Amino acid sequence: MVVEKATKTINRLESMHPLRAKVNETYLKSVEAIQAGKPAVWGMLNFYYGDPILKAMDIEVVYPENYGAIAAATGAAQQYLDRADAEGFPTHLCGYSLTTLGYASRMMKELKGQIPPEAPIGGMPKPLFLMSSAAICDARYKWFQALGRYMDVPVWPLEAPIPGIKEFFIEGYYDRMVKLGVKHLRDFVAFVEGMVGKKMDWDKLDKTADLMIEVNRVWHEVNELRKARPCPMHSRDFWSAMPAALFLAGDLEDSLRLYQDMYKEVKDRVNSHVGAIPDEKYRLVFAELPPWHSLAFFDKLAERGWNFVIESVGYHPPIPMDLSKVSDPLERITKFSLQFLVGYYEDARKQNVLGGTTAYPYLKYAREWKCDGALLHPLISCRSASTHLPYVSDMLMEKLKVPSLSIEGDIVDLRLFNPEDALAKAEPFEETMEHYRKMRKQAGFNW
Amino acid sequence: MSDRNKGLSKAREIYLNCPQRARELKAAGKKIIGYPCVYVPLEMLTALDIVPYRTCGNMKEPVTEADRALPHSFCPIMRSCLDCALKGKNDFLDGMVTIHSSDPQEKTARVWESYTNYPYFHFIDMPITVRPEALEYFKSQLNDFRKTLEAFTGKKLSKDKLEAAIKSHNQQRTLVRELYELTKSSPPRISGTEIVQVVKALTSLPVVEGNDLLTETISEVKNRTAGPEKKSARLLIWSSTLDDTDVMQVFEAKANVVMNESCGGIRAYRAGVKFTADPLEGLADYYLNEITCARTFRQATLGETRKDYARDLQSRFGYLKGIIKEWKINGAIMLLVRYCDPFAFEMPSLKDYFNSLGIPSTYIEYDYTTGALAPLRTRVEAFLETIS
Repeated sequence: MVVEKATKTINRLESMHPLRAKVNETYLKSVEAIQAGKPAVWGMLNFYYGDPILKAMDIEVVYPENYGAIAAATGAAQQYLDRADAEGFPTHLCGYSLTTLGYASRMMKELKGQIPPEAPIGGMPKPLFLMSSAAICDARYKWFQALGRYMDVPVWPLEAPIPGIKEFFIEGYYDRMVKLGVKHLRDFVAFVEGMVGKKMDWDKLDKTADLMIEVNRVWHEVNELRKARPCPMHSRDFWSAMPAALFLAGDLEDSLRLYQDMYKEVKDRVNSHVGAIPDEKYRLVFAELPPWHSLAFFDKLAERGWNFVIESVGYHPPIPMDLSKVSDPLERITKFSLQFLVGYYEDARKQNVLGGTTAYPYLKYAREWKCDGALLHPLISCRSASTHLPYVSDMLMEKLKVPSLSIEGDIVDLRLFNPEDALAKAEPFEETMEHYRKMRKQAGFNW
Repeated sequence: MSDRNKGLSKAREIYLNCPQRARELKAAGKKIIGYPCVYVPLEMLTALDIVPYRTCGNMKEPVTEADRALPHSFCPIMRSCLDCALKGKNDFLDGMVTIHSSDPQEKTARVWESYTNYPYFHFIDMPITVRPEALEYFKSQLNDFRKTLEAFTGKKLSKDKLEAAIKSHNQQRTLVRELYELTKSSPPRISGTEIVQVVKALTSLPVVEGNDLLTETISEVKNRTAGPEKKSARLLIWSSTLDDTDVMQVFEAKANVVMNESCGGIRAYRAGVKFTADPLEGLADYYLNEITCARTFRQATLGETRKDYARDLQSRFGYLKGIIKEWKINGAIMLLVRYCDPFAFEMPSLKDYFNSLGIPSTYIEYDYTTGALAPLRTRVEAFLETIS
């Protein structure tokens, strides 16, 4: 059941709106591109690896994961979920993937390749090819392979090495990852050239890579500002703004300017002690993706003084690194992408936290963003994003005495999330957070 | 009457108490290293005189300890594996080697390493494609594995020893294939349940002992007069893992399971490791290319710029065509362990492939608990009725 529209308690950033509009525009652009005979591609979130190559080749890219969230938020997803179910896909598969599979089935089987008229924000046109990714979960390459049932379009699966924390420090490991990445991307460039029938403009790729890195640096700085008390920017704004950096959705020069505007607005709020909610009583980290279909839930929590000040690492930009001396754009892209995966490894190893890419950063976040609690949102249909959460909860309590509240739900299927039940847990959890504030003080922590 | 210490009876005993032999070997001074997935190159352990021991789950054991480390909606086999480890059921292990063969394997490896304290723990990363650069990267991963094993044992992994180990493991693969030859007849001379016992026993024994067990078993089966009864259907089971006799017996109550295409059956034994100048190259090629698990992304032509669904299906499932013909299979069951995404995504396409071959098939899901057996039985019986 969806939470009824409530009073909007969260003080949203003005600068978020034009940024979000640019993201939404990418769908319309992809439709226009197809109508104008230009290529459009369906891409999987790949953590900066393949996107700059497509951007430099002037290929419009839409992201079915992001579209799945849009379909969920607009209420359009259910018919596609039902259709995927009827096609024989198990219902416990990733909700985004089922949405896309149902969508593709409807588009190709019923509408002979035309965009379904009910599809939100213009829909996704039939792609020239699919770019999948091995990063983070199995679904994100198996799902595009499964689309072969509906569309005879080729798939390029992007490799994404993921080392263990200790293993990463074996001599030569990083260099071998870079070697794999550069060779793989070089072949990907050749594949894309073959698909679109034109050669890569390497100068343009060079510039695109730089812009991508700069966009993400500014976005990183925006999020650093959220350490302030009261926190000037809520997770709602983070989620609205993230696709422009994470998926590189929209024009990168526009995105850079808009993130710079956002930085200014957030900085102004910090200077004037303006928070993202009227009365910040509790600062929380939100773990994993939100229930897109029930976002008004956060306004209810904001009324109680809950400010969400940071989110899962999987959606945050990599820790900035200087890549200006790396002349090969493919190597620069590879290293930037690897930084997302291994950027926290040195710290994690020092602290002997072996839980992997997605687990350690919560400790850093809770400590530096001074969180009173963690709201964990295990996603029934996104296991990869949820597997580490019990471990994270254990670790936050053991190392920092930060308690967690776990509320199961889903990114797409609204039937799996019960906002009333979740809100009923808020008051007792406030008592828990108060208790552990005292415990942390006794243990010598500074928040 | 069969000898309890040989062949099928021995396999059954080991199956019922897998850790027993490992404990004996440990007491005799051997090092035992656990592995949760057939993608771990066991040859490298054998070559260093380490006994590989597969850390399986146990569907009869309720998961309790793993609840604090893994969510409920997660691969139930890995939850069960970790649960057994956290309960100390594998306390004889000197270490663990884990591999990125699927997302649950990778995620569980992190948790496993964090919640246990073995003297040795290693994680092997594994690419998803069979592209040349992926193969080269995987080979480098095996080289890192070699380095850590050498540091752990204080021994050098020589080429001669590795080649000898490859030879022994290849012999095991040949013997398992020979065992499966015995299911070609009608009725089959060995049941699917018996094979599950043999294969699971193999994964808890040193390779040489396993080969002896296989040799005895093959001889016994060839010479016995009383084998499985002929049933109405000859089934192929396609699954990630089918390593429990209770599950197998659900199918075998009314059918002959002549092929268990899972890592509790033939999957890890269908091919052999090639001898290459650098043995790691042969190993990398075998483990990345030859094991036909849904986790690997395959396509008709590497980097293809055109796609044809029929050719795509052939590249992913083509190996099943020969099996269906040679084993005279007349029904296929796609058995999905809940939350196993690589296999779950395959279901409609594999059904398309079976349809193209004229083989009736059904998709059945279970959650790796004994509570799932009754509904599983109902589904199986319904399917068998439709094909009888």
